[in-house]
Amino acid sequence: MTTGVLIFAYNNEHIDYLAMANWSAQNIRRHLNLPVCVVTDQVIPANYKFEQVVHAVTEGNNSRWFSDIRQSVIWYNKNRSSAYELSPWDQTLVLDADYVVASSQLTELLKVNQDFLCHRWACDIINSNSFNSNNFFGVNHMPMHWATVMLFRRSKTAELIFQSMQMIRDNWNHYRNLYGIFKSTYRNDFALSIAMNIVNGHVLNIPSIPWKLLTVTPDCKLTQLSLDNYLVEFVSENKKPKQFSFSCDYHAMGKQQLGDIIANNS
Amino acid sequence: MNTDELITHSRARFDHTTAKRVLKEKYQAKLTFAHAGGMWRAGPELQSTIFTCGKIGEIVLLDLYENPVKVDKTELMALSQQRWQEQMNAWLVEYEELNKQR
Repeated sequence: MTTGVLIFAYNNEHIDYLAMANWSAQNIRRHLNLPVCVVTDQVIPANYKFEQVVHAVTEGNNSRWFSDIRQSVIWYNKNRSSAYELSPWDQTLVLDADYVVASSQLTELLKVNQDFLCHRWACDIINSNSFNSNNFFGVNHMPMHWATVMLFRRSKTAELIFQSMQMIRDNWNHYRNLYGIFKSTYRNDFALSIAMNIVNGHVLNIPSIPWKLLTVTPDCKLTQLSLDNYLVEFVSENKKPKQFSFSCDYHAMGKQQLGDIIANNS
Repeated sequence: MNTDELITHSRARFDHTTAKRVLKEKYQAKLTFAHAGGMWRAGPELQSTIFTCGKIGEIVLLDLYENPVKVDKTELMALSQQRWQEQMNAWLVEYEELNKQR
């Protein structure tokens, strides 16, 4: 059985997702020892290294507010649901380009008998009070399933989940109204959550990754101290400047800060 | 030089509470391991469960996904003990390191 990592990388005018994917691929090889396939519409620069490249056009686009850039930017995110068809592997780990692999933790997922896994719970690395609401969506507070890290094997279950995501994407206004989602922007997290709900038969006990998705929000200042060691600086709720360092996998929501880290590494 | 930034940086204090909580999240993840197709969390709870099932041979246990999995007791016990000791030691080292920071 072939196993590898799939990263979607569609640049916009502000964020170089392909550079993120290239940096992430280095971390993946170092910690997970897995080949990386990038899905993009760009020409790959000669100094970038991916084991496989899939050229695919983005289906439509979205506009999303990025608080670290302080403006709405075009966000090409609509073909993540094609991961099942686009992946060259039998067992695929789909990672966001801004998910930082700093340990071998994800290898445990490859050894378990599950057709599809993703994170059910994300937590803010600084434990801000407001973040936990992101673990639910819509007026009925449906459980969120995060599309940041997805593991799937070629199977009927995985195929149905991705087909359902495509159905939800293609009929986004209907599902948005059905689940009472206030914002009109299509998000893969919403589509995945609704798809997981449908495919698993509307139950709450859905198999997921048994640890939390640590998230660094754009409100924090993120810098790299050394290889796999990062510093977070933030202002606490009582307005005091605080900082701490950490060394584990995380999701960097502040794309510009991650971009700066990658630029310093290249 | 941005002096405001410099002052803010110099006043920033190491946040032990948050660092300790992130360490806990990190090591709770690292205590999770896959074996025989199931997912397990190393620790006294798993080891006690295996211990109550006798000394050797195969048993069926529920994994973290509540699936029954047939496992070799000795093998799973050894893996759990090894993982527990390695990760708890690493946790202690990092915890002591963060206590040295101001």
